[in-house]
Amino acid sequence: MKILEVQHLVKEFGGLRANDDISFALEKEELTGVIGPNGAGKTTLFNCIAGLHPVTGGRIFFDGRDITDLRAHEVARLGLARTFQVYTAAGDLNVEENVMVGCFMRTASRSEARRRARRILADLNLEAHTDALVSELPVAAQKQVTMATALGTAPKLLLLDEVAAGLNPSEIDQIMDTIRHLHHDLGITIVLIEHVMELVMNVCQRLIVLDYGKKIADGGPEDIAGNPQVIKAYLGERYVAEHAGELS
Amino acid sequence: MEALKNAFDFSDFPRTDLVVAGVLALVLAAFPFLSPSSFAMATMIQFFMFSIYGMGWNTIGGYGGQVDLGKAQYVGIGAYTTAVMLIRWDIPFWVSMPAGVCLSVMWSFIIGYPLFRLKGHYFAIATIATSLVLKDLFEVWDFVGAARGLEISPIKYHPPDFLRLIFREDIYYYYVIFGFFLAGIVYINWFRKSRLGFQLRSIKDNEEVARSLGINVHWAKIKTYAIATAFVSVAGSFHACYIKNIEPEDTMSLDISILIALMAMLGGAGSLWGPIIGAGILIPLKSYLKEWLGARAGLVGIDLIIYALIIMVISAKEPRGIWGIVERVRRRKRRR
Repeated sequence: MKILEVQHLVKEFGGLRANDDISFALEKEELTGVIGPNGAGKTTLFNCIAGLHPVTGGRIFFDGRDITDLRAHEVARLGLARTFQVYTAAGDLNVEENVMVGCFMRTASRSEARRRARRILADLNLEAHTDALVSELPVAAQKQVTMATALGTAPKLLLLDEVAAGLNPSEIDQIMDTIRHLHHDLGITIVLIEHVMELVMNVCQRLIVLDYGKKIADGGPEDIAGNPQVIKAYLGERYVAEHAGELS
Repeated sequence: MEALKNAFDFSDFPRTDLVVAGVLALVLAAFPFLSPSSFAMATMIQFFMFSIYGMGWNTIGGYGGQVDLGKAQYVGIGAYTTAVMLIRWDIPFWVSMPAGVCLSVMWSFIIGYPLFRLKGHYFAIATIATSLVLKDLFEVWDFVGAARGLEISPIKYHPPDFLRLIFREDIYYYYVIFGFFLAGIVYINWFRKSRLGFQLRSIKDNEEVARSLGINVHWAKIKTYAIATAFVSVAGSFHACYIKNIEPEDTMSLDISILIALMAMLGGAGSLWGPIIGAGILIPLKSYLKEWLGARAGLVGIDLIIYALIIMVISAKEPRGIWGIVERVRRRKRRR
């Protein structure tokens, strides 16, 4: 059963093609990474899927429904959540209240929203931070709060935008555990944008590689690691030519 | 039921806040019996009215971060609805006040829908424009007395008239508006932690994040704008019965819109007590400045200079107003 299907997606900003004819389909409960050099169009792809940008061309289907022309809040209500590199819902609310903003999507009752928020915070081992302001937390915990807030909307598909950026190795381990937990124990389909290769190679079952707005590779982590086109995209054509011997 | 319980739930405030608020409430309740001058009574009634305007403004302007500089048009709609209905058809305040709220809210939907397509400064300027246009319309509209305005003559009624809210002594007006003031606090206390209240704070911080959390940003703003409007309209209706002589100039002028926003910002936008603190400082200041400096020393317009100074100081030093300073000091203490 396909949960997300992107068909020939094109997104232009003025003359710039940020996404150029991208197509792929995700199975339910897959854990996919989207990688590529800076400016490859990864975040744009997320924004198009989440309904934040109107697309220039192509169609997007979520859970069997055409969501191409839906607005972001409508897409979210269907069960497609995304996190942002900038952290949380509201800076002047504490951690629990931030997660409640997410929970309020499914309930109007304050006590019910609080109950759900507490359950999510307990599940992600964030109870200790319940009353803290998000800005007072270490970066790793802030990222987890972002994820907890998205979880509040009870998503079927979760788009994670660079949740490991700026973290130290032990924090990355912590985030990897959280991602595995969401995927494995909660059964949420996840797509993540990430530059931290350690995380991508360790947790993702499948990788989609973008470069200059185009999809240049799609497959399991082992295949992608040895793919000459991907190496070229990351290291540059000249480097590959000069070090041809070593790389093969 | 849950909403009612939440409205009276002040438990997230530190105890000092609640003690101070309780003592002040008792002082306010007893104030008319402390033999105040009629000038002081009038100032206190103005303080309550502007607190209500400010609490209304604070929903959309404070929690929602949408700077609205057109609140005076709803003072006008509320005041005129009550005055027209009373003078022409002898309809009591308790009917005309909700009718005024309905009209205000309808008008707020009509202009809110296009207005909230605008952001930031453009939104602020557009709210000023709609308010001024409405004022100009009222100045030429004969049905509502055009520029001469309307006068409710108390001789026709038999004060104290609780249905029409026509009194000879200010003490009645004092307790009526005090009641609205307390009800306003309870409502805002519910609102600030309601679904809409939380959603607004998310909208204020980042609209894209808010949208991704399933929030219909445009509609949430329009709804909140209607709530803000209702607050202002209620106090506007009261204004008609209390002042008894209303003109477009003193209900709908830009000064009033700016004063409402300024009070809330000075006290602390986006906090429960902010608008009340702001009104508590600015309204007496305004009355007494006018009385002392304006009338005695001939320094007309000194109050405007002081507002301008306040705007500059707030925007440079502490955008979250006096309440922002209080919270910052508290946080520093907690860390130690």
